[in-house]
Amino acid sequence: MLCGKERCPVLVKFFHYSKVQPLIDDVFLEGSSPPSIFVGRIGYPKVAIGPLVPPFAGDTSYIDLPELWENVTIDDIVKFRSHLIRGKYVVNVYDVEKRDKIVDFTRELALARNSVDTEMLFEKKPYGRIALYDDAQPHGPSAPIRYLDISNPKYDHHIEKAYYDTDLKARDAVIELYRKGVLVSRIQKAFSVGAFGEKKYRRFVPTRWSITAVDSMIGEELMKNTKQYPLINEYRVYKYEKLDNRWIVIFLPTTWRYELIEAWYPKTTWNPYGKSISMFNSYEFYKGRKTYAEIGGCYYAARLAVNEKLNQERRQAGVIVLREAHPGYILPVGVWNVREAVRAALKREYTKCESLKEVLEEIRKFMDIPVERWIKNSAILKDLLMQRRLEEF
Amino acid sequence: MFQAKIKADILKKMIDIVSPLVNEVKINVTPAGMSLRAVDPAHVAMVDLSIGASAFEEYKADETEIGIDLDKLASVMKLASSGDTVEMELDDVSNRLIIRIGNLTRKIGLIDTTGMTEPKVPNLNLPAKITVKASELLQGVKASESISDHIALTATEDAFELFAEGDTDTVNLKLPKDLLIELNAPEKCRSLFSVEYLSSMIKPVKGDQPLTIYLGNDNPIKLEFDFADKNARAIYLLAPRIESE
Repeated sequence: MLCGKERCPVLVKFFHYSKVQPLIDDVFLEGSSPPSIFVGRIGYPKVAIGPLVPPFAGDTSYIDLPELWENVTIDDIVKFRSHLIRGKYVVNVYDVEKRDKIVDFTRELALARNSVDTEMLFEKKPYGRIALYDDAQPHGPSAPIRYLDISNPKYDHHIEKAYYDTDLKARDAVIELYRKGVLVSRIQKAFSVGAFGEKKYRRFVPTRWSITAVDSMIGEELMKNTKQYPLINEYRVYKYEKLDNRWIVIFLPTTWRYELIEAWYPKTTWNPYGKSISMFNSYEFYKGRKTYAEIGGCYYAARLAVNEKLNQERRQAGVIVLREAHPGYILPVGVWNVREAVRAALKREYTKCESLKEVLEEIRKFMDIPVERWIKNSAILKDLLMQRRLEEF
Repeated sequence: MFQAKIKADILKKMIDIVSPLVNEVKINVTPAGMSLRAVDPAHVAMVDLSIGASAFEEYKADETEIGIDLDKLASVMKLASSGDTVEMELDDVSNRLIIRIGNLTRKIGLIDTTGMTEPKVPNLNLPAKITVKASELLQGVKASESISDHIALTATEDAFELFAEGDTDTVNLKLPKDLLIELNAPEKCRSLFSVEYLSSMIKPVKGDQPLTIYLGNDNPIKLEFDFADKNARAIYLLAPRIESE
């Protein structure tokens, strides 16, 4: 194409919009929310909250469970996410317990585990095409809510218990739920409606912040264990490809350290106008980092996934995640993509290597970008190759 | 038995020196004073610290070991102002360190030292000895931080030099012999080091205080300085980096 992209994101968006549009050309919407909700960020602390509802009924839970999207394409995601109509209702983030039907129903949807029949009356017809975010999943057109009603939701009882415990700290609630096997995406949803924490600290949290907050908290907790476990005694290389993203996860026989390096081809989401490949990295050594990662929420999503694996094996390792985003990755689909891709990579067979040299050879074979360029952009590889250790003397 | 009184500043200094490298340490206590030696988790740097009994206001001790989490100790020391005197006492029975600052008593649970082995001091060949004001070296290291992750240190017969090179920029700090407190380099010595580590090792030395550097060729660097009126001494070792690919 003239603009250089492999396929036109505008047309992809338009195509799906044109299919959804006739279904929602009305101020009244009836459908089953997966359940799903959205908390906006603009105007903080006055933000727009409300449900996401598709214009059809039944079990729609799949639309909001990224954990199940292992085999979907970008088109699939745009298609089923663009069906979600976002109702908007502006509240102050501190108004989590306000006596208000829309606030109550939004929260109930966030705590539910089943698809919930929902009726929404809007101030005007839903407007806009698919909305894309860097951290959150995309959704379809939106409109201000005038009236909202839902049928009976069934609560996830672990989440419900944490919601009624107003002495339990938010962080402890998140970790307890994770340990009980509640899906990360469900915890994030409940977190965004201020369902956890000591009563006086509860508030709405914009969806994108709540995604990273939960990823980061769980990752940190798992990391505490990781640092206590014995080291692995081999080099491992995991490889995975999805949505035209190529992933390599390297486990090193060292103490905990972690780096995520992303390479964006020209015309991909985060490098729309560039002529050359852009590379970004964020890293931490054993002591961890105190500032927010330069590359954003994906750093924490991948960190959760690698620590999950190390905790399962009760082993410690240094970890480097490499991501090559090729031109077929035309739209951002959300941070879940990073978390689930790294999880999927770690479920595969790995290549066992005897030395760092063999690891570099694996990178050379699987990635298009020359290994020298990965090294140049990697704090941990540079450290391994160039920093000597005291016991060598 | 361990019972001592020490100026809060000295204890804070000790935390500043050790905590950039490790969080949990084993302190060896003898009638002559306290000492500790530890390497960082990456095995790149070592700290060796000793505080003589004379650095304390009061000091009574038998031989013993205290395993402590420095983050905890640091949070306790935040409660002390700079002129304060801190009382420390080891409670063998409950395995806690009792700290008294004025009328405040804080007991810290200690950590098990059985798995904490004494790190081995490497064999070093460091012909050059340079003594410099800490502030002069810190200036050069700070200037390098923004352009590169490593710097080269060179000692020749008549000068000590620091050099860093980024993609487009360079930093050079040259200190001729007459600006140094001491320079003794029988041969040219040059080694490369991580800026991050080096800067965290120079920062605890205050202002104009002298810092002694021992330098070799592609060998670790040894940094040595006194504090608490020369009643305490800190030694850092830092492994070098290899010249880039």
